[in-house]
This record gives sequence, structure tokens and C-alpha cells, in this order.
Amino acid sequence: MPAETQGPLTETVFYVLLALHNPLHGYGIMQYAKEISEGRVNLGAGTLYGALNTLVEKGWIKPVAGDAGDRKKEYVITDNGRATLKIELGRLEELLRNGNRITKGEAQ
Amino acid sequence: MSTHIAHKLYWDFEKEEAWLNDKAAQGENLVRYRWGTYTFEQGAPREWIYRIELLPESIRKPSSQRYLQFMSDAGVQTVDTYLSWVYFRKPAADGPFELYSDMDSRIAHYTRVLTLYGTLTAALVATTASGLHSVTSNGLNFFTLPLFSLQIAILIVTASYALRVAKRVRALKAQKQLFE
Repeated sequence: MPAETQGPLTETVFYVLLALHNPLHGYGIMQYAKEISEGRVNLGAGTLYGALNTLVEKGWIKPVAGDAGDRKKEYVITDNGRATLKIELGRLEELLRNGNRITKGEAQ
Repeated sequence: MSTHIAHKLYWDFEKEEAWLNDKAAQGENLVRYRWGTYTFEQGAPREWIYRIELLPESIRKPSSQRYLQFMSDAGVQTVDTYLSWVYFRKPAADGPFELYSDMDSRIAHYTRVLTLYGTLTAALVATTASGLHSVTSNGLNFFTLPLFSLQIAILIVTASYALRVAKRVRALKAQKQLFE
């Protein structure tokens, strides 16, 4: 369940939720996060595994019932996951707005 | 393929990991581990990156097996397992290979290592104390002196490693107040 009072998401959770707008398995998530962050975010496989389990428990993502032949588990974001992400984006926008507004004059 | 064997005892898994990666840089790739015995296979230099992990549960548990399957799907090979320890490797051509990319999972792993060595230290303190008791009542002799000294030496090494890991956990927790 997304909470209005939620704290900041970790970078791992943030990128996993973004990646899972399309169904992906673990390796796919790692590649996607690396790609869209232009190589900055390298998710550790151990860290990702723990995050996926926690996110499934939270109901922010869910396993995709895949083809019988494919044993690699795929995941996809849920409505709760999207709602959580939306709240986080609002928070990040606020940070960026305030950060830019207050530092801009000095940075030049 | 030519193989060779090395005998070594490590307390510190990070030093062990660094040693395995030094070996791999020379084309000596770990393929098997049992009781301080490392078997290396000769290959090309810098072919593999090695990582060592202590799992929360025994290797035989379904949860551990699921994890190893996930790693294998992510292109990470399980070279060998030993109690709850796993030796992983990934082709160096795939780019950097780290098991953990955030503070929380790194702290959780060190905490597992700390629990293991903390428990080991406590067990050693108990046996050393009972050893000390028998030494004070029977005195040291030709047989008990080396055995007792060895026990104390192991206790010191184990305890000092546990202390180092505890410091590391504290430092990471402090850093976590600033960075994720």
C-alpha cells in the first residue's frame, strides 16, 4: 500500500520501479537501470534480489505468470507501485525546485 | 586443462576475495574449495571476477537455492559452496561485478559475518576457559601446552576479526546518515 507519508525511496527501489513499467527479469532490470542512468547505476545482484523480494511483499511489483518453458522469473509494476512512484516524483520535484531556486544565483 | 592446488586459511573473506582476484588476474581461476584447499584451473588472465558471500541460511535451504538460481539467471556462476559461504564469479568482459550496490545490503552482509564470528568467539572463550581450568588444576605438560596455546591463538585471531567487522558495521551505519 502506498502511503502519503512515505519517506524517500532508495535509488535501487526507484530504478526497479521504473524498469518494471515493462516486464523484466533480474538481469534485464540491471541492464535497464545501467542504460537509462548512462552507466552510473550498477545494481548489485545481491542487492537487487533483496529489493525484489521486499517489493513483492509490499505489493509494489508482482511476478509475471510466464511461459512454461521460461524459468527466469519476470516482474512487473503494480498500481500500488505506480502510486508510490508518483508520490516520490512529487518529492523529487520539490527538492529540485528548491535546490535550483536557492543555489542558482551563487552557482554563477 | 592444467590445475593446481593451494592450501590457505582465511578469516577475512575480503582478503580471501582479493587473493582470488589476484590469482584470476594471472589466469589462475578458482574452480573448487574444500577445507582450506583451493583448486585453480589455468585459463586466460583477467577472465573472471570473483566474489564471496555469506548467505543468511544454509546452502541446502530452498531460499538459498532460489538465490543461486537468480544469480545464475543474472549471469553469475556459483563456483563452489562451503557451509553458508558461496564463491561466485562473473566474466570480467561483462563489466564491474559487485554483489551489493547500497549501504543497507552491505551492512546486512557484514552483520551476518559478525554474527558468525561473534558466535565462534563466544564458543572459543567457553572452551578456552574450561581449558584454563584444567591447566590450573593439572598443570601444563608436553601435550597440553601446544594445544592450549593454539586454542588461545585462534581465539585472538577470531576475536580481532570480529572486532574489525563490528567497526566496519559501525562506520557504514554512520555513513548511512549522510548517503544511501
